[in-house]
Amino acid sequence: MVSPAIALAFIPFLLTVLIKYRYYILLFYRAVLVRRLQDLITGRSREDRAFQYVFTHALPGNAESILDTFDHWCTKIEYLSNIGPKKGKVLDRLIGDMAPKTVLELGTHCGYAAVRIARLLELGARLYTVEMDEENGRIAEKIIRLAGFDDDTVELINGHSEDVIPQFRERFGVDHIDFVFMDHWKRCYLRDLQLLEESGLIGKGSIILADNVIFPGAPHFLRYIKSSGLYQYRIHRATLEYFPGIRDGMAELTYMGTT
Amino acid sequence: KSITTLRNQPWRMKKKLETLKEAQEFIEKFEGALGKGKGRKFYAYKVMMLKKWMKFKRDFENFKTACIPWEMKIKEIESKSFGSSVASYFIFLRWMYGINMVLFGLTFGLVMVPEALMGKPYGSMPRKTVPRSESSTAMDFATLWDFGGYAQYSVLFYGYYNNQRAIGWLKFRLPLSYFLVGVGTIAYSFMVVIRTMASNANQEGGGDDTSFNFSWKMFTSWDYLIGNPETADNKFASITTSFKESIVEEQENRKEENIHLTRFLRVLANFLVLCCLAGSGYLIYFVVRRSQKFALEGLENYGWWERNEVNMVMSLLGMFCPTLFDVISALENYHPRIALRWQLGRIFALFLGNLYTFIIALMDEINLKLEEEAVVKYNMTIWEANLYNGTLSENSTRPPIEVDPADVPRGPCWETMVGQEFVRLTISDTMTTYITILIGDFLRALFVRFINYCWCWDLEYGFPSYAEFDISGNVLGLIFNQGMIWMGAFYAPCLPAINVLRLHASMYLQCWAVMCCNVPHERVFKASRSNNFYMAMLLFILFLSTLPAVYTIVSIPPSFDCGPFSGKSRMYNVIQETLENDFPAWFGKVFSYASNPGLILPFILLMVLGIYYLQSTSKAYKAANIELKKKLQNIIKVPDLILTFHFRSNIDNPNSNLSPLMTNVFCLCK
Repeated sequence: MVSPAIALAFIPFLLTVLIKYRYYILLFYRAVLVRRLQDLITGRSREDRAFQYVFTHALPGNAESILDTFDHWCTKIEYLSNIGPKKGKVLDRLIGDMAPKTVLELGTHCGYAAVRIARLLELGARLYTVEMDEENGRIAEKIIRLAGFDDDTVELINGHSEDVIPQFRERFGVDHIDFVFMDHWKRCYLRDLQLLEESGLIGKGSIILADNVIFPGAPHFLRYIKSSGLYQYRIHRATLEYFPGIRDGMAELTYMGTT
Repeated sequence: KSITTLRNQPWRMKKKLETLKEAQEFIEKFEGALGKGKGRKFYAYKVMMLKKWMKFKRDFENFKTACIPWEMKIKEIESKSFGSSVASYFIFLRWMYGINMVLFGLTFGLVMVPEALMGKPYGSMPRKTVPRSESSTAMDFATLWDFGGYAQYSVLFYGYYNNQRAIGWLKFRLPLSYFLVGVGTIAYSFMVVIRTMASNANQEGGGDDTSFNFSWKMFTSWDYLIGNPETADNKFASITTSFKESIVEEQENRKEENIHLTRFLRVLANFLVLCCLAGSGYLIYFVVRRSQKFALEGLENYGWWERNEVNMVMSLLGMFCPTLFDVISALENYHPRIALRWQLGRIFALFLGNLYTFIIALMDEINLKLEEEAVVKYNMTIWEANLYNGTLSENSTRPPIEVDPADVPRGPCWETMVGQEFVRLTISDTMTTYITILIGDFLRALFVRFINYCWCWDLEYGFPSYAEFDISGNVLGLIFNQGMIWMGAFYAPCLPAINVLRLHASMYLQCWAVMCCNVPHERVFKASRSNNFYMAMLLFILFLSTLPAVYTIVSIPPSFDCGPFSGKSRMYNVIQETLENDFPAWFGKVFSYASNPGLILPFILLMVLGIYYLQSTSKAYKAANIELKKKLQNIIKVPDLILTFHFRSNIDNPNSNLSPLMTNVFCLCK
């Protein structure tokens, strides 16, 4: 019915879409298609495979080696949404500049960021990391112990962040959190930020670093921090982990308080 | 009375005396107005008239400003969100509307109305009647939408007009008027475009862009027409980004770049673009030939898709190829302004190539029709002979036979066919634009706004996000649309009318779409510099559009059976005929002397010398201008050195914060 000429006229459109969104197509391929395929073939989950790889290829006790092995697996073999080497450098710099005593991480996933933070903590500082999913939590625990961090330095908490944060003070006897790193579900950023404010765990000068605020994006979170006036914020523009073509950003907030 | 008032004031005597003296002088001066002395009535009257005149002038100025169509709308767009570059598109659109109104006035008033009022009515002649074979479908909407049926046999197209030399009680010379209106529209358009270009050239100050980069950026980036806090934030962010980009550019200029790789990539990009252009040209040619094949076999056998194939393909290609060029240009790694120029040039080449392929294919059809004419003429003589054989066998007198005009066999009318093609192309172009706005802007905005709550990634920041208003694409579309009107107006007098309607609707639709569905650009650049560029393109298109029309007028004989020039061997013979018959003999003689090559050649030589002279004086003025600018630049060297040093020091330390200096400067600007 439709003549071939009209169909041919759509070719420039298809080419444009293919070329312009090649990174997104590649991301879709690696993050979704390859993962499903490997799930079917091996029968194990992606995090399990990642742990297997790291376990066999990294030097135990050496945090740098574990991070490098993770990066290698994520670039060459499959895709996992860790914070990645480039954005990780921003995280390192912030931790190094501030030297916090108490760090809270929401969304451990595989423990990449936990290892990254923990290796820069000074003596006596402690990292609390919250993970919702039990499987991921177990794997993250194994990786953190593999890196050589014990219970004193890194404490892994299993549970939903909206349950953990209100009970944080009583459970752990912590009054003030210096640094918060958010890397869990983007929809929960705003809710957890407000919970932290209410519970009084963050004080003047606390820094909150939220990852992936541009892609996949947390629009309500950004709108809130711009309009609430409680924070001084800065957006670090970078690219999505392991994909230099997709723009992304991290939001660094400094809590100013109501004064 | 004033003396009494003065006495009662608690002042010193000296002051009272001074005031009294002043008052007396005042009274003497304005004696007439205050009612004392002669001529007071006349003086009072004069003053009152003067005041009334000033008031009237002021009101008239206000009225004139209020009368400028859509002024408020454009100001709203400019100040609310978008700045001067988007508003400049709408100003351009309004200017085009003005030109089209004049063209419409000419064609409507001098061609369509006389024929409708004073010419023979519908059905009185074969060329004015729908043929018997088509009359069953002549009123269908589908036929009318394709401009066939009753629409074809009406004042809208060339074929309806009668070649009678003078019609009605006014003895209106219709063929002459048709010809002169055709020439006049082109001449008027040339005049208006060149006048606008000249006045734009006067206003163009222009800065030397390569030196004092940071000074210009620092002091001239702010757009004072912005009235909305969100836009101001946007502008602030974009200026910051532009500074960062300049720093990165300076950084990159210091870096050694691989020239060979860049050159190779650029050549490759151009090659790809050429392939795309060639592909699109071939596709259009192929489609037009196919439609000729369909026409030969009779259009009734084919569905809507086949009949409108050509228009659809041209519109689709015009929509999709520019985005492909944009993507290919990412290979080239040019400075954004140069990249924009290349992009505009390529889109221009695409539209031009498509249009000319279309015209060449049309020429083939015209030739086919001309061949058909000879055959039809032969058939007509046979048909007439049959008619006479059937009724009378008189050889000496041939009384006119009463034949219904719908039954007379028709000669092919290539001019109406050309007019119809252009009208259909314009309509389909319009439809494509409107549908693109509705789907690409409106539906997209609805999708982003309402589905954003339940989608996994942020639709507003990432893909697809709200659309930006594509200024250059829209301006080029407008220019090419106008080119089509200029090409087709001679064969379809209804085209300027259709275009007026289209521009009117476009203005409202696009204004609404811009305010409702678009977001301001991320990088805002000045529109004034590109203004003359678009005017130059318009002039070029005007020249190129008149070429085919002039070629067909001069070299192809008009159809024998339709139009105001039927029966003549060439269309311009109407001028000679008028000179012979309507003007006194001496006028014809003068004209023949004036058109003697011996007179025309020296005249052309004089014009060329005049152009050379004007060119050299303008060059001298430009040189003087540059000297003055240099002197000015020497004065502002010192502040710029300070700024450049500050920014250059940031090159080696790119992570340092630009914000303190920026915030200070822009707080001042805000």
